[in-house]
Amino acid sequence: MNRWRGAISSLFLVLCCLLSSVREVLQAPRVRSIPKTNQISSLSDERFAELKKVLPQRGVVGYVGEGGGTSSAVGSYYLTQYALAPLIVDYSQMHPLVIGNFPHAVPAQLPGNLQLMHDFGNGVLLLAGKDSK
Amino acid sequence: MILLPAALGIACGFALVRFLWGRNARCGSEFATQVFLAIGFGAGILSLDFFIVPGAGPRALVTIDTAIFIAFAVAGFVRRRRTDENGHVIRATSEVHPIWLVRALMAAFFIALAVGLYSAVVRTMAHPHGDGWDAFAIWNLHARFLFFGGRQWRDGFSSLIAWSHPDYPLLLPGVIAHLWTFLGYDSVAVPAVIALLFTFCTVGLLCSALFTMQSKTAGLLAGTVLLATPSFLEIGTWQYADVPLSFFILATTVLLSSSGNETADQAFGSCGLLTLGGLAASLAAWTKNEGLLFFCAILFARFLIGVRHREANKSRGSIWLFLAGSIPVLLVVVYFKHWIAPPNELFSQSNAALQKLTSPQRYWIACQWFGRDFVTFGDWLWFPLTVAMIVFGLLVGRNQESSRNVQVRIVRLGLFLTLAGYFVIYVVTPYDLEWHLRYSLNRLFLQLWPSAVFLFFLTCSGKVETSWVSPQD
Repeated sequence: MNRWRGAISSLFLVLCCLLSSVREVLQAPRVRSIPKTNQISSLSDERFAELKKVLPQRGVVGYVGEGGGTSSAVGSYYLTQYALAPLIVDYSQMHPLVIGNFPHAVPAQLPGNLQLMHDFGNGVLLLAGKDSK
Repeated sequence: MILLPAALGIACGFALVRFLWGRNARCGSEFATQVFLAIGFGAGILSLDFFIVPGAGPRALVTIDTAIFIAFAVAGFVRRRRTDENGHVIRATSEVHPIWLVRALMAAFFIALAVGLYSAVVRTMAHPHGDGWDAFAIWNLHARFLFFGGRQWRDGFSSLIAWSHPDYPLLLPGVIAHLWTFLGYDSVAVPAVIALLFTFCTVGLLCSALFTMQSKTAGLLAGTVLLATPSFLEIGTWQYADVPLSFFILATTVLLSSSGNETADQAFGSCGLLTLGGLAASLAAWTKNEGLLFFCAILFARFLIGVRHREANKSRGSIWLFLAGSIPVLLVVVYFKHWIAPPNELFSQSNAALQKLTSPQRYWIACQWFGRDFVTFGDWLWFPLTVAMIVFGLLVGRNQESSRNVQVRIVRLGLFLTLAGYFVIYVVTPYDLEWHLRYSLNRLFLQLWPSAVFLFFLTCSGKVETSWVSPQD
């Protein structure tokens, strides 16, 4: 009796495991559909490569981006910090140098306390803050 | 270029493990356990020496790593010469069981392994920077601060970017920055490969330790269960610190359990295992804040078991061995927490936290989520493996011998206290409770999952073996 109980319970457990393994295969991305350029690189390192050359190596810069507090806007800010490290990117306009990051559309009117210094294209701007701390 | 420092790190870990193990491995699975532990400990060593010597160049790091390797290798050689002994492993249970069952379990394990490898590699190729925000917003960002920051790396751990959790410990960023320093640039492959290594080393450690301490079938079943937990593989490739943390929690569990098991003592060796256990627990604390909670939980569990059981008090020296292993890394953790990291946001509003502790509604919400996630955290198809394992356990019964082992009791209580600690943290969280539970609870379950699977099969599956060899049958 114990013999069969042990075997059946082991096989039952293995069956449950293999079902989940099927899910793993189904949920894994298709090899052919993997894009050659990855999204994080294109949204961070590649977009900010030119800007990074003119920024100081260290210190703190400000940030202004697409508003609304959407997850996309927050993600864009995080990716800016990731690209510009070890520079600190503070989510504030109260700095002499402010990064403008507008991946979707650059606004026609920038905030009054900011002055455009250079447009790097692709929605990346370098701005001068007038109300720096 | 990357292979040399990586191999040097693993060699340092292996020399350390062999030194504290005290003698040569007596079987393939014991050797495999040492290798898997060495990979994790090697990562810990690379991370710590990068942190202790900030801004060091590749030459200085190679010199330091080589010196560490030579020191541990010589110490291990001297120790083994003194204590060398011959013998073979005595397993907790007999290895006699029907061949068709072993073959079926082996086939299932290799299918799960192949699927797991395929899925993990394809996911890594699709998301080389990691999938999910924490990879680039926390762990790899901290690695960039360490690597690009040079001697001013501390600037990156500023409260201006509190969202990046600058108080999180630096094992993962440290090892990534160490390897980047050798390469000379921030290769995206480094964190991706480290994530894969930790994921599959956790599986390997689980299987090999059960092979040695319990039986082949226990190792195969446990490995299959972990490989067939889709969320474990998924989060493993996300480049988060949860799977590395689960590795160190499992390493602590394995080393402490084996140090208190008479049969495993013969298999594994000496009290050096307790020291290694302490080191593994402290590396858990250097990986993530939850690891610090786990470390305290293990100490508290030791105290509680010591109060109740005289047997535990007899081995009072064990706590000192455990602490001896943990103190070097703990000093680094304390230094980081006290002098570098800003305060943790979870404990920044103590008055509000006290108020939340008296709110029954928050306990009820947390209870509901814990109950729900207990069956869903693995993202299993059709039947949750947590429930399947309970059914399995009820059918095969418990291995009383392993269950009585004092160290196993300590680790089991430690894991339970860690889970209880997670619960309390949710109750007092300054974030929206539902939001916090939704986005983190499954990862917290996963941190403890490999250890829970290990303890389950250590204290349960022995009966499967004996049921096949019992003369009464």
